[in-house]
This record gives sequence, C-alpha cells and structure tokens, in this order.
Amino acid sequence: MKDNVKVKKFKSQTANRRIGLGVTYTMLIVGGIVWLIPLIWIFLSAFRCEYQDGTFIGRVTSNFFPNAVGFENFRLLFTSTYYGVEGAFLKWMGNTLLIAAIDCVISTLLVLSVAYCMSKLRFKLRRAFMNMSMIIGLFPGFMSMIAIYFLLKSIGLTGNPAHPEYSVIGLIFAYSAGAGLGFQVAKGFFDVIPNALVESAKLDGCSNSKIFWRIILPLSKPIIIYQALMSFTGPWMDFIFAKVIIGADNAQYWTVSVGLYSMLFGTHPDTNLFTQFAAGCVIVAIPIVSLFMFLQKYYVEGVTAGAVKG
Amino acid sequence: MKKVIASILVLIMFVTVLSSCGSSSGTNNVIRVWVGEESVSFYKAVCEEYLAAHEDFGFTIDVKGMDTGSIAGTIATDPKAAADIYTVAHDNIGKLAATECAKPIGDQSLIDQVLADNPEPFQNVVYSTLNGQKYLFAVPYISQALFLYYNKALVTEEQAASFEGLREAAIAANTKAVTVTGDDGYNMSFALLATKVSDHSTTVKIYEGAESVSGGTKGTSNCQGDDTIAILRWLQDYAEDPNGFKWASPDGWDADLDKNNKGVLAVIGGAWHYNTAKAALGETNLGIALIPTLTLTASSVEGLTGVSAGDVYRGGTFADCKCFMINANSAKEKYAKEQELIKFLSSKEIQNRSFLECLNVPAYVGASQFIEQCYNEGKVTESQYSLAAYQVSMAEWGIPQPFITGTLNTYYYSKNAPAVFRAIIDKTAYPTTGDVIIPETNTLEGIRKALYLIEYIWMHGSNPKSFPDTLPASA
Amino acid sequence: MGKEKKLSHDAKSTTFLEDVRNAFSTFKKRLVDGSIGTKLSHLIFGVGNLLHGQIIKGLLFLSLQAGILAIMILCPTINDTPYGWKALANLSLKNVTVGGEFDPLTGEMTIGSDCKLMILFGFVTIALIVIYFLIWNLNINSSYKADLAKRAGKKPTTFREDLRELFDGKFYVLMLTPTCIAATIFTILPTIFMISIAFTTYNQQDMNELHTNLFGWNGFQNFVSVFTGEGSLGMEINNRFLPVLGWTFIWAILATLTCYFGGIILALLINKKGLKGKKIFRTIFILTIAVPQFISLLAVRNILGEYGPINTLLLNWGWITEPIGFLGLKPGDSELLAKVMVIVINMWVGIPYTMLMTSGILMNIPTDLYEAARVDGASTTKMFFKITLPYVVFVTTPYLISSFVGNINSFNSIYLLTGGGPTYTGYQAGGTDLLVTWLYKVTIDQGSYNTGAVIGIFTFIITATITLITYRRSKAYNEEDTFQ
Repeated sequence: MKDNVKVKKFKSQTANRRIGLGVTYTMLIVGGIVWLIPLIWIFLSAFRCEYQDGTFIGRVTSNFFPNAVGFENFRLLFTSTYYGVEGAFLKWMGNTLLIAAIDCVISTLLVLSVAYCMSKLRFKLRRAFMNMSMIIGLFPGFMSMIAIYFLLKSIGLTGNPAHPEYSVIGLIFAYSAGAGLGFQVAKGFFDVIPNALVESAKLDGCSNSKIFWRIILPLSKPIIIYQALMSFTGPWMDFIFAKVIIGADNAQYWTVSVGLYSMLFGTHPDTNLFTQFAAGCVIVAIPIVSLFMFLQKYYVEGVTAGAVKG
Repeated sequence: MKKVIASILVLIMFVTVLSSCGSSSGTNNVIRVWVGEESVSFYKAVCEEYLAAHEDFGFTIDVKGMDTGSIAGTIATDPKAAADIYTVAHDNIGKLAATECAKPIGDQSLIDQVLADNPEPFQNVVYSTLNGQKYLFAVPYISQALFLYYNKALVTEEQAASFEGLREAAIAANTKAVTVTGDDGYNMSFALLATKVSDHSTTVKIYEGAESVSGGTKGTSNCQGDDTIAILRWLQDYAEDPNGFKWASPDGWDADLDKNNKGVLAVIGGAWHYNTAKAALGETNLGIALIPTLTLTASSVEGLTGVSAGDVYRGGTFADCKCFMINANSAKEKYAKEQELIKFLSSKEIQNRSFLECLNVPAYVGASQFIEQCYNEGKVTESQYSLAAYQVSMAEWGIPQPFITGTLNTYYYSKNAPAVFRAIIDKTAYPTTGDVIIPETNTLEGIRKALYLIEYIWMHGSNPKSFPDTLPASA
Repeated sequence: MGKEKKLSHDAKSTTFLEDVRNAFSTFKKRLVDGSIGTKLSHLIFGVGNLLHGQIIKGLLFLSLQAGILAIMILCPTINDTPYGWKALANLSLKNVTVGGEFDPLTGEMTIGSDCKLMILFGFVTIALIVIYFLIWNLNINSSYKADLAKRAGKKPTTFREDLRELFDGKFYVLMLTPTCIAATIFTILPTIFMISIAFTTYNQQDMNELHTNLFGWNGFQNFVSVFTGEGSLGMEINNRFLPVLGWTFIWAILATLTCYFGGIILALLINKKGLKGKKIFRTIFILTIAVPQFISLLAVRNILGEYGPINTLLLNWGWITEPIGFLGLKPGDSELLAKVMVIVINMWVGIPYTMLMTSGILMNIPTDLYEAARVDGASTTKMFFKITLPYVVFVTTPYLISSFVGNINSFNSIYLLTGGGPTYTGYQAGGTDLLVTWLYKVTIDQGSYNTGAVIGIFTFIITATITLITYRRSKAYNEEDTFQ
C-alpha cells in the first residue's frame, strides 16, 4: 500500500512537471513570437519590392507580408544621393564605424582606469570624486548640448567650415569625454577581484601601474569586453547629439543613425523612403546584433555586475 | 601632489589649441550656399556652370543641401557657422533679420531685379528694418501656394470643384472627403483666407493697417467678421461629418490618400508634395485642382448678418515664397560677389530651369506663360503642368503671410494661434492665461472669442488678460 | 579582514573648517619656512624647482602660468566673444554691445554681443582661474618638498623619478587626470552653464519678438512663473507641470516594476529545469536589446499606426470601424490608452534586460535553501515568494534604484513612440510627455532655453533626492569596503 502511494505521488509529480513544462514552452513560444514581430516587420519591409503604376512604393503599407520581395531597397540605399551626398549611406556607415571604434578604445580605457582607482587605490578625494560623478550623471544630458557645441567650437572641433571633418573628432570627444564618470559597473567588477592579489604583487615590488596592466586587466576580460561593447554600440544609436555636433549641413560626415532618422523625419518627409530606411536598419542591425550574440556571455556578466553594484 | 605632468601636458595642448584655433579662417575664398535638400544637385550644377563662365569670379562655391524645416533654427543657433548665402521660406525673414543673422541687399541692380520681376505681395514681404531703416533682405526665387490633389479614380472633375462635391464622392466611396498635410497655420489657411467667389471679398485683414486680403479697405487686423464665423461654422459641420474633413493622419497624409487605403479622397497640399502624392495615387489617378468652393448652409449663417445661406466661398491660401538671403556674418569682401551670385541664381532663366528639373514653381511675374509654353512643347507632363498652373492661379486667391510689415510673423506660430484655430474646428475649449478660458467653441460667442484671441495674438503677441464686453471689437 | 586594512581607509574625514585651517597653516609654513625659490614661486611658477635644478618641471609650471596669464590678459576671442578678464566682466551681461550698423556700399555689418557665449566663456574663465590656483599650489608644494629633501641631505627628485612615481604611488593622478579634464570641459562646465541659463531671459521666441539677440539675468523669475503662470511659457508650465510630473512618477514606477518582475518571471521560465532550447529562447529575447532602440521602437510605432498591420487586421475582422490611435499620435486620441501602450511596449524593451541580469543571480541562489524548503513541503509558488524573490530583490536593489532614475530620464521610449502625444491644444506638453521629453520640446523645438533649464533643474532635484535617500541607505554604499 505504502509503496503504491509513493509511486502514485511520483507519477503525479512527473505529470505535473510535464504539464508545467508544456505551459512554459507555450508561454515562451508565444512570448518569443510577440518579441520578434516588430523586428520581422522591419526585416520584411526592407525586402519589400512593390510597384504601383510603375512607381516604386517605399511607404509604410498595411499588409504585413510583402506582395513582392527583392533587393531594390538595398540597391537604392547604396546608390541614392541623400542630402546632396552621393553614396551617402556608405559614407555614414564608414563614419559611424570610425567614430564607434575610436570612442570604444578611449571610453573603455577611461572607464577602466577610473574604476581601478576607485576600487583598488585609496586617496584623499576618492569619495568626493565618486559622489560628484553620481550627481553629475543625474542631469539630463542634452540640456548641455548647446554648451558642448560651443565649447567644441572654441577649439575648432565643430562648426568649422574650413574643416568640417574636424566635427567627427568633436563628436568622438563629446561621446568619450564623460565616459570615465560611468565607472560604477567596472568598479563593481574590480571590487570582486581579491585584494590579496594586489597586496602580494606589491610585496614583490610591482608598481601600481604594473599591477593594473599585468594583473588586473588580464583578469578583467569580461568587463573590458562589456565596456567596449557598450561604448562601441552607443554611436550607432544616438541621433540627437550627433546631428548637432556634426552639423545639419555636413551630411557627408553624419553617422548612420542621424541619416536614417532624417530619412524618416525630414521636413517634408518623403514617406517613400520608409522601406529604404528599413533596409538601412537591417544593415545597421546585423553587425551590432552579431556582436551582441557573439559576446553575449561577457555582456551578461557585465549586466549582472552592474545590477549588483549599481 | 606635485606630479601633474600628465595633466600639464594635456592642459598645454588645450591652451595652445584654444588660442590658436580661435579664428577659423581659410574659408575666405569660398562662398558657401545652403539650399533646400530637394534641389541641391541642381544648384550645385548651376553654380559650377556659373564659375566656368566667370573665371574671374574669385571665389569657389560650396553648395550644401539642408532640411528646409529646420534651416532657420540651425542658422539662429549659430549664425557664425552658417553659410554665406542661404535659402529660407519668407516667414523666417523677419526673425533672421531681427536677430542679426541676415544682411541687407545693397546692390541696386539686384534690388531693381527683385522689384521688376516679383509680384507686389512678394515685394512687400522681403523688406525688413534694421536700426529703424528699411532694407531689402531677401530675393524670392520659388513661389509656394496650396492647391488640391485628388483621387481621379473616385472623384470627378466637377466633384473636385467644391467641398460638397467631394463629400458626395466620399459618401459613394464610404470614406472621408478631404484632408490637409499638417495642422499648422499654413495648412489651415484655406479656411481663414476663404474669399467670396462672386466678388473676391472677405473681411479678414491680417496686415496691420493694411489692405484686406482681397484688396479691400484699409484697417487694423481683423478676423472676427461674420463671414469668417460662418465659414468656420461650416467647417465645424464638415469636420463632424463622417464623410467630410479629416485632420492629417499621424502616419502621414499620403497614407490616407493611398489608393489602397482609401482613407481620404483629396488633400490640400503644395508643389513639394507632388512626388509623394504621385506615389500614393499613381500618375494616372492623380488629379489636381484649385482649392474647392464651399456653400454656406442655413445653420452656418444663423444669427449672423452680412452673410446668407447659399453664398459661395473659395478656400484661400497663404501664397509664400522661398528666398535667398545673405548671412550677416559673411565677410564684407564677399559681399559684392554674393549679390552677383544671388542675382544669377534668382534670374528668370535659372528659375525656369529649376522648374523643369526640380518642379520648383518660379516666383516671378509671368511664369505662367513659360509653364504653358513648356507644356505645349511637351517638356512637362500634364500633371506637372496642371500643378504649376493651378498653383499660379491659386496665388491669385491667396496672400503672402505678412511676416515683415505686420506682426503676424513672429506671433502667429509661436503664440499658438494655429492651436486656437484647431480648437474652433474641434469645438474644444482653449486655455489661456489664468482665468481666461474660451469655453467649448460650439457657440457663436465661443467662436467669436476664439477669433478675438487669434486677432489679439496677431497684434500683441500674447494672450489677452480678459475679453472685451462686446465683440467684435478691434483691439 | 586583516588583509584589507591597507585599502580600507580613505583619508580621515575632516570638517570644512578644519580644512580651511589646515590650508592656511600649510600656506604660512611654506611661505615662512621655504627657501628663496619657494617664496618666489608664490609669484612666478616653477622658480623654486628651477633653482633646485628640476629644470623640466620648473619650465612646465612656468609655461602653464604664462599660458593661462596670456589667455587672461590677451583675451582671445571666439565668435567675437572674448575669454580672459573681459569674459569675467561680461558675465554681468552689462557690457553687451548692440549691433546692426550696416554700410550698403562695403557690405560691412556690426553684430551685437552673443550673450550665451558671454556666459559660457565667463564660466570657462572662472574654471581657468581655479586651475591657475591649483597649479600655483602644486608648484609651491613641489618646491617646498624639494627644500625639505635638500635639508634632509637628500637630492630633490629628478624628472625621471617624478615620472616613475606617477606610475606607482601617484598612479591615480595619472589615471584620473584625463577623466577630470574631459569631464570638467564637457560635462561640468556645460551643466553649470545650463543651470545658470535658468536665471536668464534666454528665450528664442521672446528674442525674436523683441527683435534682439541680447538677453540678461532674470533672477528667480523663471522659477516663480512655475507657480504664477506668467512669462512666455508661464501658462504652459503653470498648467502642465503637475500633470507631467505626476505621469513621470507613475511611468517611472510602473516601467521599473513591470520590467523588473516581468524579467524575473521570464528568467524563471527560461531557466526551468528540463527545458530544452534555452539558448534559442534567450537569443530571441536578447535581440530586442541588441537592435538599436530607434529601429525597434520606430518599428513598433509603424505596426501600431493608423494604417499599420494591426489596425488593418482589426478593421478587416470587423472588430473596429475606425483605426485605433494606440500611441496618441493624433490630438483627439485617448491619453490613457497611449500611457498603457508605452508601458507595455517598454516591457517589450526592458524585460529581456532584467531577464539576462536575473538569470545569473537565480543560478547563484544556494540550492540548500530550496532543499530545506522542499523537505518542509513548501509549494513552488511559496518557494518563489519566500526564497527566490527576496533573494533577487535583495541582491538587485541598486539596480532597481538606478533603473528607476533611468526611467525618469527615459527619453527614447516616449520620444520615438508617442512623441509625447496626444497633444493638447495650446500646450507643448502632451499626455505622455515626461519631464525629459518636455524639456527637449521646450529647448530644442521651441528655443525657450530658460524654461527648459528650469524643467531640467526640477528633474535633477527629483532624481537627486531619490538617489541620495536610497543610495546612502543602501548597503552597497555604506559597506562598500567590507563588501570586497
């Protein structure tokens, strides 16, 4: 009797578990579809290739699945002249890549160095610095945009008709200058590295600089990659700062997000550009998404470290 | 704490850069030109031609395309970084001249050209004052006015001639009759500026101390006339009608106009909407007409004098122009050549070419003959021809927004006059300072108060503290 | 703990009064006790170092002094606005020049002062002066240290030694200097500038009407107008401030909580034992983080649009007769629906993020806790509420705070989805506008910089209060050192 009950209980438990698992699967699949629909929509729009009376239709259309597919949007995107710039999209991609790459290196270095100081070194103004950086981070960023524009202009790095290309440097400054103040996540990570390591290295006669480069950094691959990823993807997403700093008239030096945003929200918006916008989105999204996927592990570690040490 | 070498090095760099890069010269032999994004290729080519023909010009020309909507804001934010010559819609002239972003035109031959080529309304708006002295500030080269695009497949030409006809077609197609491309004051001008078809008359006066829209008597600004009220009441009904007026869709008016969506049968728009309208309807279905007429109903004239049911009015339009202007910060050495270049770019010949290549409707008097000639010679399609022709005839039913001589320029938009207007059509309340709130605008008194408010904003640039006991009252 | 001792003390905390007293006594000591060189260094930078044979360092100090003094005296101009002592004088905005003189023959035109640059450059100059005195202090200190070394019979440090020290004992100076300089120029100065604009009449609309590009100081008038409703945007602020503020709070609370708990639930689902294809599910959800927000949010906006697939589908099924304005893009649309929609769509963006974060934490929950509970016969739900949730919430409190503050300043979600709509006749601020998007409209679209600055300062006060209260109480702050 007793045994029988046990078996029954066990059976019902596995059955319960099965049902539970089934419910989980259903919820996840439904959720996954809901999560994917908007992305699929942009993706499908990018390949939409419909004509009406011989005119190419590039507008938002109400049918979810396109009536005809093709690469016309991509062809137009790469060959069209936008804002008087030939092959604008490729140039925008190139600019963004350059800006993102340099910003990535500078920002990551700044963040790591500040985080290291805050975590492993002790000095007089440390607490003050930490509080200060937190307070400053609370002001809405684009309020100071005009001031940053004129400060950059003072050193010739924007609004400089003789050298419009300098505004690209200006934008890199604007992006990476404040990066060091966002050290909290990396500091959280460094805090976890045992101080004993640092101490024993010191006993061996290592300088602080050596400790940083030879001991801390090699242990910090996840956080380095996380910071690099964050600062690399930033310029691909910002569409407000970039336009002001680079200048509305310097379309050839715009970043890709400014270009795409302007395609959709110009003054007399030629809404016929929507599918080309979608094509542009797909091209921008592919490298960023693959980066994220490829570095997922590190990203998750960074996010988790950030959550705990905020 | 003495080891600050790193900081010192960076600081030195900063200091040297700071003191050396201050004045950015090096652009002194370039004249920079900003034009609308849509016609940048054309003006680039034209400028190159000009340079090739005038080897002694002494400057190179750098043409860039700008977003026409934000260009004035960009210039105002940092005029010193703006181009030497830029183009703006004439509603920005006053603002840019007032804030020292624009330099007057001094060259007599260019002034003569402006005065000889342009219709009188345009001549009036390109002047502004500097230190109490009147100067010519801008050179018109494109004219802009509203007209009607409609869906030929569902609307006949006769139906498109009147709002009632459009409604008829809309009932048949189970949709809305007409929409606008935006809800700002410019797009809604068709109602405020409507004039009586029989004698081109209206009581609306938007030029302070100037003529009425239809060239009538002089007086102060006024838009509280009984005819205006009757037209607005008519529009209230038309907007409430399920087959009547529709505000611009958030997805864009062209999504409405789309022949598949059939959200609306017609749209009041301008020449710059041509390509989008064509894409929405297809070339064969794209009809173009004057802004339709409306017939006052018995309910719309109830309680009003001077208007009677059955009076026919035609929707009006602000007839605007785009102009070249010179940046106040441009070096004086460039001044003569800038004017020379503007003289060339605004010449009839170049305006004509820009019509053929970019569909910019020329601003000069008599452009219609050229447009007709082009059509006869087969240089433009029928819809392109009718677009230009109807725009030119619409200009006769319209008036330029008084941005210089009157005060409407700086107040009309910034002080929410278009929002009051929208409140009237939607029959909603409109809040103003403190206690002064216009009640729901579904009563005669409500409409009159709202119009008084618009008028007050035109003249004073602010909301009134209270309403006068008797309306209409001129402020 | 013993090992940590070396790290775990910051410099003793001193009161401000003590600091001042210390500074004075140091100053006195160096001036009285120092060598001739040290004394001279009070006037001419680097003399002390030069006399001690520290040539490079001395020259560096000297050149810095020369550079800053050159700027202060020569007043280089940018956009015709000077730096230096003239900029200090300009800060009063009393020396503004009026332009507009025009000579039609030569095309020469005089332009009036640029007040915003006068203020900005005034602050830059003040920063330069502060830097000047910091360097002044360093230079005396450096010279005095060399004095002391000499007296003790040692050699003053060479430049090479100084450099080496910079990589060891003073490593933090090397590491922090770039950030300090960059942050001062591009973050602190602009922020100070922005705050000061709140006390001026800098308002493009007003300036257009007054036909001027000049403006002046205005005291607290702009703040007063929040309550009185006067001034150019007074009515707007007076009538819309409280609704916007209230919605900002509701939004921040709901957006934070929905994403937080949604993320935990999703993480539990994905990490369920025996579930196959964990990686695939996870990847699907991460996609929304990876795709730039302006792409994914605009896609959602189009799908929900008047002629988007959802409205078309509902119309075709005959469920509705008029397209639904989900996002309040039209003035007459429902504000409540728009608010619900942005919160729901924000979940779409935010849940995967929390999911990722909590996944790791969930796996770290000690399994013996669950075992014990299971032995006690606790149900799964009970275990979730008694073990999982408390643990996760405990560990992620800092994240909750920062995400709350982040949501208060969440610009993209609102701006890209609803644009702040539905709009109300006569007002800039629409139904779903947060303080931060309102601020954007008021400054960038309207050019009412002073009003924008007021809104910005209010936003700051709110976020700062919340952060300070919660953060100072949190373990992460108080036990920062013991946590290691």
